[in-house]
Amino acid sequence: MKLSSAIDLTNMNPLFENQILQTRRQFFGDNGMRLGGVALAAMMAPRDVARAGSLVNPGLPGLPHFAGKAKAVIYLHMNGGPSQLDTWDHKPDLHKQFDKDLPKSFLGNRITTMTSGQGRFPVAPSKFKFSQHGECGRWVSELLPHTAGVVDDIAVVKAVHSNAINHDPACTFVMTGSEVPGKPSMGSWISYGMGAETEDLPAFVALTPNFPNGSNAQALFSRMWGPGFLPGRNSGVVLRSGNDPVLHLENPPGVDRQDRRSMLDALGKLNQRGFERFGDPEIQTRISQYEMAFRMQASVPDLTDLSQEKESTLGLYGDRVKTPGSFASSALLARRLVEKGVRVVQIMHRGWDSHGNLPKELGNQCLDTDQACAGLIKDLKQRGMLDETLVIWGGEFGRTVYSQGKLSRETYGRDHHPKNFCMWMAGGGIKGGTEIGETDEFSYNPVKDKVHINEINATALHCLGIDHEKFTLRYQGLDERLTGVEPRKVISKILT
Amino acid sequence: MLGLSLLAEGGEAVNFNRDIRPVLSDKCFACHGIDGDSREAKLRLDTPEGAFQKKRRRKSALVAGKPDESEAWLRIISDDEDEVMPPPDSHKTLSNEEKKLIKRWIEEGASYQKHWAFEPPVMPVVPPGKGSEIDRFVELGLKKNDLKLSPEANREVLIRRVSFALSGLPPTIEEIDEFLSDQTEGSYGRMVDQYLDSSHYGEEMARHWLDAARYGDTHGMHLDNERQMWAYRDWVIKSFNKNIPYDDFTVEQLAGDLLPNPKVDQLVATGFNRCNVTTGEGGSIKEELIFRYAVDRASTTAQVWLGLTAQCAVCHDHKYDPISQKDFYSLYAFFNSNADPAMDGNSLLTAPVIKVKPENYDAKITEYNELSNTVVEAMEKLPAWSSYQDPADKKLIGRIKDIEAIWFEDNFPNGAKVGNSGHPLTLVDQPVFSGEKALKREGKEMAQDYYQSGAAPLTVPTGSNFFFYVYLDPKDTPEEVMIQFHTSEWSHRAVWGADLIDFGKKGTSERFVAGPLPKTGRWVRLEVPGVKMGLKAEMQIFGFAFTVHGGTAYFDHLGVIGHEDPTTDPKASFLAWRKAKQAKGVPEPLSQWIQEGAEKKRKPSELDRLKDYYLARVCGTLGKEVESMRAELAKIESEKVNYEKGLPSTFVYRDLAKPRPSYVMKRGEYNQPGEKVEPGTPSVLPALVKSGEQATRLDLAKWLVSRENPLTARVVVNRFWQQVFGIGLVKTSHDFGTQGEVPSHPKLLDYLALRFQDTGWDVKALMREMLMTKTFRQESAAASPRWNNDPENRWLARGPRFRLDAEQLRDQALFVSGLIDFKMGGRGVMPYQPPNIWEPVAFGGSNTRFYKRGSGADLYRRSIYTFFKRTAPHPMFVNFDAPAREQFCLKRERSNTPLQALQLMNDVQHFEAARGLGERAMKSASNVGERVDFIFRRVVSRFPEVEEKKIIIGFFKKQLAKYQGVPKEAMKAISFGESEPAKSLDPSELAAWSLVANLVLNMDEAIVRN
Repeated sequence: MKLSSAIDLTNMNPLFENQILQTRRQFFGDNGMRLGGVALAAMMAPRDVARAGSLVNPGLPGLPHFAGKAKAVIYLHMNGGPSQLDTWDHKPDLHKQFDKDLPKSFLGNRITTMTSGQGRFPVAPSKFKFSQHGECGRWVSELLPHTAGVVDDIAVVKAVHSNAINHDPACTFVMTGSEVPGKPSMGSWISYGMGAETEDLPAFVALTPNFPNGSNAQALFSRMWGPGFLPGRNSGVVLRSGNDPVLHLENPPGVDRQDRRSMLDALGKLNQRGFERFGDPEIQTRISQYEMAFRMQASVPDLTDLSQEKESTLGLYGDRVKTPGSFASSALLARRLVEKGVRVVQIMHRGWDSHGNLPKELGNQCLDTDQACAGLIKDLKQRGMLDETLVIWGGEFGRTVYSQGKLSRETYGRDHHPKNFCMWMAGGGIKGGTEIGETDEFSYNPVKDKVHINEINATALHCLGIDHEKFTLRYQGLDERLTGVEPRKVISKILT
Repeated sequence: MLGLSLLAEGGEAVNFNRDIRPVLSDKCFACHGIDGDSREAKLRLDTPEGAFQKKRRRKSALVAGKPDESEAWLRIISDDEDEVMPPPDSHKTLSNEEKKLIKRWIEEGASYQKHWAFEPPVMPVVPPGKGSEIDRFVELGLKKNDLKLSPEANREVLIRRVSFALSGLPPTIEEIDEFLSDQTEGSYGRMVDQYLDSSHYGEEMARHWLDAARYGDTHGMHLDNERQMWAYRDWVIKSFNKNIPYDDFTVEQLAGDLLPNPKVDQLVATGFNRCNVTTGEGGSIKEELIFRYAVDRASTTAQVWLGLTAQCAVCHDHKYDPISQKDFYSLYAFFNSNADPAMDGNSLLTAPVIKVKPENYDAKITEYNELSNTVVEAMEKLPAWSSYQDPADKKLIGRIKDIEAIWFEDNFPNGAKVGNSGHPLTLVDQPVFSGEKALKREGKEMAQDYYQSGAAPLTVPTGSNFFFYVYLDPKDTPEEVMIQFHTSEWSHRAVWGADLIDFGKKGTSERFVAGPLPKTGRWVRLEVPGVKMGLKAEMQIFGFAFTVHGGTAYFDHLGVIGHEDPTTDPKASFLAWRKAKQAKGVPEPLSQWIQEGAEKKRKPSELDRLKDYYLARVCGTLGKEVESMRAELAKIESEKVNYEKGLPSTFVYRDLAKPRPSYVMKRGEYNQPGEKVEPGTPSVLPALVKSGEQATRLDLAKWLVSRENPLTARVVVNRFWQQVFGIGLVKTSHDFGTQGEVPSHPKLLDYLALRFQDTGWDVKALMREMLMTKTFRQESAAASPRWNNDPENRWLARGPRFRLDAEQLRDQALFVSGLIDFKMGGRGVMPYQPPNIWEPVAFGGSNTRFYKRGSGADLYRRSIYTFFKRTAPHPMFVNFDAPAREQFCLKRERSNTPLQALQLMNDVQHFEAARGLGERAMKSASNVGERVDFIFRRVVSRFPEVEEKKIIIGFFKKQLAKYQGVPKEAMKAISFGESEPAKSLDPSELAAWSLVANLVLNMDEAIVRN
């Protein structure tokens, strides 16, 4: 009988919850100044809270399925589709093919209608120089000099493929495992399963940094961090640059923290009476959520204040880190969030859709992100956090070897290419200095070890100790999972 | 487990549908069910034929009465990892409880039943007892579980519960007082009726339907531009208020266009099937989109009306329900001939669309026409009118007049918005052809100076010859010079020289090669006839450009020569006007006659009509008196045009004239057609009655609401139940298939479904019947064990208690504050929204990239009228679990998060509302206690208890003391939001009351429907 099949997270153990509440009350007392987040942190170290079962960010019982290496995920989403040919997929002989037609046998029949009408498909070799780096001897484009310095810490997956060929469905695919809108995002799944190790912050945070002027930027969609059919609490919370990093975080003008505390004291008493009258355990949850809101009002601004970081740390991320809303500052913020126990941080950097004048646009995009990507890896490593943090880099698809529009040695454009593109993963559970996957001489079709987007997702879950096949939720008659209905494998070759 | 009490106990026989099917469905059917492609060992357990089939080597899967001879049972209890079922790698296991049941079922004969929801409902015998039918069914269930109904809630709780259930708003204090004072028989029913009759009822009911219909104000994908179909939203609201029977409501939405002589409303209703998300993303593959849209429409229809997860069968036969892939594509075939395009064009109105004409439309138009006629009649009486003679009739009257007009002398014409490519505008003193200045233009490649707006338009005369003077720099001689003219577009050019500038089509008037490059170092006059550039007499020129390629040139003295000839001037000659065929703006049928030209013979009466039109509106030689009356006429006619323009258009659904063939799409891929299919319904359900050779959407709609259909009525009464009680009798209100849950009260569900049909699908009657029950009127309080034993209240031993929805929370705040604006309908409005919700995510070229906050009343409209951008919905929706409307949603989650707390405490919308409520409290009562009572009653409908009042007054005093100390802070607090705080009130006091209202509006009791 399945009268109550889905586990209802909103009903937590009221007994446990009440104890926490009691403790908190004793600690705060009825009068005087409350210390909010600081007080709670002093009362319980964040990791202890997690062990006891987080009140505000609970995970599912039984998860993780096994001891995973990673405790958190930072997903660097390069929105628009970076060119694999100009970054990671080195094709040294391609210059011989300059302006020759891509052979028909490679082309296949799924081409976007932006170039399907083109008279010819002339090959555009990358104008950028590649050289080998690190002990692993990885070939990296000159556009990524800083990332080239950390190649021994990362695993490059070179023949990732997606089903979707246009931005909207492809973004939806990469983030939710399906190209049809309506499914939960990866971060929401992880938040739902694992909760978070913080009482002051949400489990899943999304960041939407600025991007270079002149780049061709595509839209983002809230479904990329949306909860789909999971409870709304698992939605990614967008931290915004500026005064109000979390919506409605600031008290109204003329209302200060003391006023809010007094109001919450009165509210707590009224709601406690409500609980005594109605017996509804939701009331207890509500009391604790209001208290968390109060703590967030202090902890979030504190967190987004990057001036507390040492110069040497800021230096890792490059000069742009001091510009609010930059990719670099978002990358640093991601580290700070993970440090505080946030489970998933997703940074969505736009502007990678280079249909024309790719060398210039891609150059700007890399300049905007390269040092910060490498800085993030180094920073995590220095703090001993890299082993516990999974970092993922990649777009929603790659780009074609043939030029879209005008082709010269110096300039060219590239259309969407979902058949193979490059992503990289690093940190918790990932073996650095590795690569997997090969493509043909045109980087047009995978020839070895192709990896589906949902296998990237399956691997990410694996790193967290989650078996992606067992991590399901019954919705509309199906056992839904992040990785879709087709069988998908974890990429074991790049695991530690 | 609560559910277990439903199961077979003790002596009761095992029931297949109740006890066995859910287990087999969940654990076995994925490999041993209807889907032939994934079936293992050729064994089916979902049909008795499959399960009892004799196998050559092995035992049958099931042998009635004999578990020990049934292979299935032996496998279930096997210790061998290779043998045991379900296999370990499926991650599915059977509990001991489930195993016991299966064993007993086999022992009792392993009898199968059709899935309950596919069996027609049978009117059950109503259990004996007192009270309403619903209550008697509920009490029977309670009795089985040793439970009883709770006592009736007090009247304050009841009125707030009813008011929210039916209007989405709390009651007013007057309504509460009236209900409290009326203790007579039937007062509760009268109170219910009052809310059923309110126009807010339709708004509340529509909200739920719009989730199902996936209604939004943007296309939903890529650019996510605005689309206009709010007339559909308003139609839904109106339909609930008019209490349109649910069967008509169904037919009009799915097939209103196929009804005989459909009314405007019935066409608007078909917007249901245009609500799906669409894209205009460049590069998309059209066939793929057409396929996806039809899949969405078929899936939505199946889910909303039948409660079937048909989309599972897009790629393969359904694993659990008897819906084959062919069934799905037969349903899809009804929607595969949609006339709307694959690419929405990112347009506000993507065809097919209709104008939504109101009922008084014809009368209004007649009124305008009569007004114009009066003016025209007056004009006809003027001497100038009757003395008009066409100059073309008498050649002598006409006198040809040569004219010359200069358009560039010293500078571009006044007001021209000049743009440049290359260096900025440069006017020089040397060399100059005439006047003071000439234009210098130099460019390494192509460079130009141009304008296309800002100056008065220039009219091309008859027999035009365009000319200008050019001076080519001998040291930096350009390869080419060009002039261009802008009419409706830049499509009129003449070039001299190398013809390197790649604009327009060579050899046409878009790029006329007028001659070689002129001599350098001197002024040369260049001339070109207008016709060579496609510039005909009477055309209007809005701009022109001087262009060079690879060098320096000076330009001066551009103009046109031509002549005026009244015999060929359409403004002077009726005949010339007819010959010119200028039909723009001319009404039918006159427009048609004009287009047919002067050659066509016209009846005298037709000629008279044409001439009347000409004289009243076109002819320019009739003198001042006519002109002034013409201005009056123009005013009336522009009002009429504005009226018509003001009528909204809306998306409607229509089929192509020639239907598209439909195929089973292999693996659900748009480019893998398999077997051809005809429109049809799932074979497991009763047969569809076709009106013609091929089934139509109208047949489908009628089939859905036919008496034989076992699902439609059950599915919808369950959803109304869910609305009223917080959870459906079938908890999985979106899934009535075998993977869904069985109903907690199957007989009650059937009773409601049949009764609903018997009353003629009367929604208000159904809502009333549910709200009148003792079950609904119970108090929601219960001791802890009761909450733990039945957290979701499936047995209904207490009243419903759940969090309000996003819209209800905002509307409540607006309502109690007095700020609310109850205007109904129209384009979605843009109330307060924090900055940077749309901007950071939107596509650069999207017209919903920048949120343009409204002002005044727009800030305070009911939430159903908030503009819904689907890729970035308003945070109040997102925060409180409203769907993004990208897909249908038949049940919202109810989460409880800190972000919700932050919104209700700090959002300007809510804080401003708190101040509004504080103000009202101060104005309506004079002492502190009464003011607390007012705020408390306004929000939660009851008086505060003594202790509660003490807490609140304590808080008030603290805040008052604070604000009296810092009046500046008080001013800030009460000035948050656009509305002005009442000047008559003391700011410190008002600030303190605002915080009190903010406190009460954040109480748990305020956030839930109790």
